[in-house]
Amino acid sequence: MSGTSAALAASREADASAASAVKSLQAEGHQADARERYAELVARHQRRASRIAYHYLRDAAEADEAVQDAFVKAYSHLSTFREELPFDVWFTRILINGCLDRIKARTRRERWLLPMGGSAASGQGESAPSERDVSERVASSGPSPEESLLTRERRRQIAAALATLPDRQRAVFVLSHVEGCTSREVSALTGLNESTVRVHLFRAIRKLRTLLAPGNGAAVERNEKGKRRVTS
Amino acid sequence: MSLRERFAGGGHLADRHFARLWADGGNHPHLASCAACRLRFAEFGAWAAAIGEEFQVEADRAFTSDRLATQQVQINRRLEAMERPGRVIVFPKSTRAVITGRSHGRRWVAAAAAGLIAGVGLGQVLDLHRAIEREPATHFTAATAAERANAIRPVSTTDGDEDFLNGAEAMGPRVKELRALDDMTPHSRELLRRK
Repeated sequence: MSGTSAALAASREADASAASAVKSLQAEGHQADARERYAELVARHQRRASRIAYHYLRDAAEADEAVQDAFVKAYSHLSTFREELPFDVWFTRILINGCLDRIKARTRRERWLLPMGGSAASGQGESAPSERDVSERVASSGPSPEESLLTRERRRQIAAALATLPDRQRAVFVLSHVEGCTSREVSALTGLNESTVRVHLFRAIRKLRTLLAPGNGAAVERNEKGKRRVTS
Repeated sequence: MSLRERFAGGGHLADRHFARLWADGGNHPHLASCAACRLRFAEFGAWAAAIGEEFQVEADRAFTSDRLATQQVQINRRLEAMERPGRVIVFPKSTRAVITGRSHGRRWVAAAAAGLIAGVGLGQVLDLHRAIEREPATHFTAATAAERANAIRPVSTTDGDEDFLNGAEAMGPRVKELRALDDMTPHSRELLRRK
């Protein structure tokens, strides 16, 4: 655990020095050098950012766009970055706000669209054909078709269960459990109180436990559909 | 009522309470003393970890290394494009051409240039015309006029074609440059002589 925290501290130190270098290069007008240095930060954080955006938006293409937007926005507003805050926290906040804006826009859009069978869904769960489905169809020497089917089914159920969580619970769960942020970090990222973060995390895991209990697949489906009706 | 108070009676922890314990970091005195609850809580932790892993695997499948590389290139391209903002073209206020002071001046310059070109062209044409008019006066002298008068012989319309051709041959070519061609051409008088 101490090794992990030491690695995190080292990574944050590297981020801070890269961010300050980019800031000073931008101020001096060396734009090409600033971009080159910023590419280090992008490379270090893009996978994590893509994961977070993907869990928020449930659509790979949209998550890709959200990540790009967040990096471009962070670069253009780097002069406002205060170095006492870790870069990843500051950047993730930009990313999450962007994702939330996209979710709002999507909800508004869907309000005016007529549902067309399963294809008009928001890209959540099974109804949205995605690149993952295509990649899963490719033959491989890995697990058997039956195992693949079961894994796929389980992932679909997990995704559907996560989609039923309220936005805050989902955000807290993804950040703290999937991305391994501490309650304090999640608090800094989301602007919520630390104890509120813990409450959201507890409620999220309790709900997921109920929804993903054996024989509860139908409940997940019902919950997800109910949530869609409420949001649309 | 806190968890500590709730479980102070010594009963086992219920499955639904593990969520709170897990969120709070898993510190509870009952877990230290009860092996069964510790085992169940470990199972709960493993389940939660598996869920987290599933999420990560799912996201990593969606974002392959190639896709991330493409994403990085696109970010860099967007940052480059940001440094060269595009020229904003103002939407025209009216569809009619507006003549400003500057364009008025340009129009005068264009008119002057057109006038100059027209003048030079006209001057050239007039010069040419005069040259044509002047040419006969300079080339036709009295001597050449007399030569021409001698060269021209009246041809009787009553004579036959042969006489006319003979007469024309006898005159010979008037143009110096055609003499070579004339020498190469067989003449009717030579044919008659052979006969």
